[in-house]
Amino acid sequence: MSRRLPSQPGEVIDRERSIEFTFDGRPHRGYAGDTIASALLAAGVTVLSRSFKYHRPRGVMTAGFLDPGATVQVDDEPNVRGAHRRIEPGMVVRSQNRWPSLGFDVFAANDLVGRFLTAGFYYKTFIRPQRLWPIYDSILTRFAAGGEVSGDAPHAYYDKRYVHPDVVVAGGGLAGMTAALAAGEAGASVLLVEEEYELGGMSRYDPAGLERLSSLRKAIADRPEIEVMTNSVVTARYDDNWVAILQRGLPDVHERLVKARAKSLVVAPGLIERPFVFDGNDLPGVMLSTGVRRLINLWAVRPGMRAVVMTANDSGDAAIRDLERAGVEIGHVVDARQGGMLVRAGGRKSGVRWVEVDGGRRIRCDLVVTAVGWTAPTALLNMAGDRPVYDPRAARFFPSRLPDGVFATGWIAGDGSDDELADHAAAVGHEAARVAIQIGRSWQAARPWAAPVDPAAGLEGREPPVLDRHSHPELYRSSTHGVIDFSEDVTSKDILAAAAEGYDSIELVKRFTTATMGPNQGKLETVNAVAMLAEARAQTIADVGTTVWRPPYAPITLGALGGRTWEPVRVSPMHSWHVARGAVPLVAGQWIRPEHYGNPLREVATVRSGVGIIDVTPLGKLDLRGPDVPRLLNLVYVNKWSNLPVGGVRYGVMCAEDGVILDDGVTGRLGQDHYLMTTTSSGAATVWEWIENWLQTEHPDWQVHVTPVTTGFASMNVAGPRSRDLLQRLVSDIDLSPESFPYMAVRQGSIAGVDCFMWRIGFTGELSFELHVPAGFGLHVWEALFESGADLGVGPFGVEAQRIMRLEKGHFIVGQDTDGLMQGYSAGLEWMIKLDKPDFAGKPELVWQSTTDSNRLVAIQPIDHLVVPPEASQIMDGPHAVGRVTSSRFSPTLGRSICLGVVPPHLSIPGTIITIRLPNRTDAQARIMEHHAHFDPEGSRLRV
Amino acid sequence: MSDGTRKTPVARSPIHPPDPTEVDRGWIVSRRESDAPVRLSDASPTVKVVVKSDRSRFDLAYGRARWEHQRLVIGSSPGEWTIIGPPGEPLGSDALEAVDAVDITHGRALVRLTGEAAPRVLEKVCAIDLSEPMCPNLAAFRASVANVVTDVVRDDREGTRSYLLSCERSSGQFLFDAILDAGAEFGIDVEGFQVWCSPDARSGAASDL
Repeated sequence: MSRRLPSQPGEVIDRERSIEFTFDGRPHRGYAGDTIASALLAAGVTVLSRSFKYHRPRGVMTAGFLDPGATVQVDDEPNVRGAHRRIEPGMVVRSQNRWPSLGFDVFAANDLVGRFLTAGFYYKTFIRPQRLWPIYDSILTRFAAGGEVSGDAPHAYYDKRYVHPDVVVAGGGLAGMTAALAAGEAGASVLLVEEEYELGGMSRYDPAGLERLSSLRKAIADRPEIEVMTNSVVTARYDDNWVAILQRGLPDVHERLVKARAKSLVVAPGLIERPFVFDGNDLPGVMLSTGVRRLINLWAVRPGMRAVVMTANDSGDAAIRDLERAGVEIGHVVDARQGGMLVRAGGRKSGVRWVEVDGGRRIRCDLVVTAVGWTAPTALLNMAGDRPVYDPRAARFFPSRLPDGVFATGWIAGDGSDDELADHAAAVGHEAARVAIQIGRSWQAARPWAAPVDPAAGLEGREPPVLDRHSHPELYRSSTHGVIDFSEDVTSKDILAAAAEGYDSIELVKRFTTATMGPNQGKLETVNAVAMLAEARAQTIADVGTTVWRPPYAPITLGALGGRTWEPVRVSPMHSWHVARGAVPLVAGQWIRPEHYGNPLREVATVRSGVGIIDVTPLGKLDLRGPDVPRLLNLVYVNKWSNLPVGGVRYGVMCAEDGVILDDGVTGRLGQDHYLMTTTSSGAATVWEWIENWLQTEHPDWQVHVTPVTTGFASMNVAGPRSRDLLQRLVSDIDLSPESFPYMAVRQGSIAGVDCFMWRIGFTGELSFELHVPAGFGLHVWEALFESGADLGVGPFGVEAQRIMRLEKGHFIVGQDTDGLMQGYSAGLEWMIKLDKPDFAGKPELVWQSTTDSNRLVAIQPIDHLVVPPEASQIMDGPHAVGRVTSSRFSPTLGRSICLGVVPPHLSIPGTIITIRLPNRTDAQARIMEHHAHFDPEGSRLRV
Repeated sequence: MSDGTRKTPVARSPIHPPDPTEVDRGWIVSRRESDAPVRLSDASPTVKVVVKSDRSRFDLAYGRARWEHQRLVIGSSPGEWTIIGPPGEPLGSDALEAVDAVDITHGRALVRLTGEAAPRVLEKVCAIDLSEPMCPNLAAFRASVANVVTDVVRDDREGTRSYLLSCERSSGQFLFDAILDAGAEFGIDVEGFQVWCSPDARSGAASDL
């Protein structure tokens, strides 16, 4: 039977737009603006979910964001707040946490043994024996509540936004709206955030307040400096009013995490109606007064046919009027202000059937409404450092001492008439704006280029009036016991049991019972839990205090926290060419490089026998200028640089202060005071910072300017015995002969019509030329090289081929063959380290190391030519692991396996046979070689 | 010499140019037109020079930019200025003498984001306060934009919000794509290379290198 009422003055449904959806496979129809819960209840569906632990049937209780009885699965999204989420055409809604169906749930057997499942049951039962934990885990996981996420679920669009309003107002009720208006009128930019879909708070479902609400809404809409976010929640407040806001319902954006740097924060969340604890208080049909008022006034849904109302305040009285207007028979009114008491309720799965009031009288009903008091949602104030204080006369907590820049207004701050609350909110909004504007002016004045700003100038302060605190009876529990935490199925008996077990702190009780730890995070439950502990310990609620409310105020999806995946990638100017040739990508830091083009061994052969080209654009490049560059190079490299001639190139290794190898590369002298330094690809940023650190902190007097130009150049290495032949076809203004352009020299000229730097260096061990051309022309030059060298058999080679060839030559890679402990001498750099230099980074440590025996990086060749020990294989000395293989490959050039590795001094002598432990726990014998280079140790192929 | 040397060198931006394209002053540029409310264009072919000096030769503080004829001078960091000018035109001048000037034309990607909603687009990928008091026209700063280190200059065009964003060339396409992603909800569209000139000199020509 439909429960839809005739049109209500403040209803939010559009009766012209009918929407079809399904719930547990059955078709239903609602109106645009309906929530899932309101549409289902209008259709007569009273049970929407099963409870967390006991699988008791649950229905609508608050008909709002916090309703614990309407958690459902929507399409592929679990744990949706069904009393908040609006229906959409074609929406597939399913109940969750039940099997096989909502009506017949096998797990409801838990309810029959509920007395054995009290607080601490799991901790005590499944603690021993420890060896069964995996079994316990697998079983208990099946009982876990929650919906299902399909592995095929499409990734929804989540993103973030950074905003910097002067004032954030958390809560869009009358007080929040008034404060926002006042702040806007004072000249502040304002972000007004409301959890519901419309501004108005409780006044939305108070027919008497609709006119005032309409006026306020229009005033706000007319002020462009006020941005309104509805269906959004301020979920956290951090230091300096860094405020996190979760925004929902945006077109094409599932959820957005808004990060607001507010100068002032106004907290105006209103109050949350508190459930009453009695036997049967979780039956479908037991609702809060605000819940029935929402249903009637916002969605025109009659919540029941015959109601019993327990009221202790105006909200309960108003609910009675609304119910009567909606045609609901009022079976009985329990006026708690007159000492009346609701004792227990009973019924069936579909809902409540009767209540028992004081005196033992049972009354038939299908709706029980309670209005017994309020919880002040002080979470944001707690996060700001406030410790709210309980006032027994008003039966709720109030803010105590707010930090600078944080304000509270509305019901959370006190009671009063609409006009009194509006006056308070207006004054608070004005003061928040004053503070914000003053902060903003001080920031503007701090800018180095700012026009003069008087930070002291600004608005005059306005002291908010003091709000009254109306008396309210303290009503938490009846003479019977009931549910306290509807999300976690924690009862008042559980709290008493915890207290009996010695948990005397509400923080401990919370964790022992899990009360307040469900999706609502205590907003319906905290004060009742505190009251129960106070009762158990014969203390006052003020003595017990509250739990600490930490972020987030409302649960946030992982998608919203993650937002868009901004993981920058870097590509070279020749990237499109690589992709077109089917290069296998290698992710190297942020760079996407070609690992190989199909067959790295063939690429090696191409370079060794003819000519190959590799894209080395990621090599770090620093432009160094100034007369003191040699001093800088002498400082950061372990070798000497004073006599590097113009046109010369030198290899260098950098060590940190502890003598550990930091980076390596070559630096060429392009002009009298002009150098180009290259670094490893991964070390570019580190070296830049390292150099700037030395220049700015230790030697600011040196005349050196450093400019990173890594991506200013497309870099390519043309390697192989035919490389000179190829380049001669494209270069006319550089004499490439070995006499004019010897090994370790740099020349400037042009190639394929493009200016370039050309270095005669090489990592592969072959005659090779490294070209650096302006990046925009990189693809032009690259294509010209391949076009010109087609008859030479030129081919591209990737990082893998380069790694094979460098290992054949015994060149170490910083970070692979070295680690965070390897000092210069361990890498075999005796020939390079010049301790006779006056000073250089790492010298004291290297002086010490030169006098000691330490581990050594050595070339290793397994006795069995076909055994390639995986990198990081352990090198054994008897039963002890004493070293490791740092690099290993099968060398196509030598037809055998080759390695670099680190061994202790006594195993580093050439000819020593060592043992390498393989992953299959077998051992392989290997020989220590005389040179790092396995191939062409004399370097004759380089110098042709 | 083979055919490879006879081809006229053509420079390519790090950002793939949408059709139609043409080669102008040695660069492949897009001529795509758009009247979308928010537009993103590639300005990488502009000449860019970074100047370092121990003394201020530009009388321009860090964090500010200024148009000098057709060149935008930016106080890009303490003791460092970036000058951006029309493509193909050398930036040599008296002001650059006796200081270290490094041509970074090819090393930086440069894009322009224009439209009233441009700040809203940037808000999604950049945490800086873009409000008028904190970031007025010709303010300059370096910040993370979609996790890319980016130099940002607000350079309004005919009263409409416009931002120049420059990053390392290798991340240019990523930055471009990230801004397009952020701007989708505001109807962002790509438009071709725009004439590089000061706001005062803008003639309304669609594109004239």
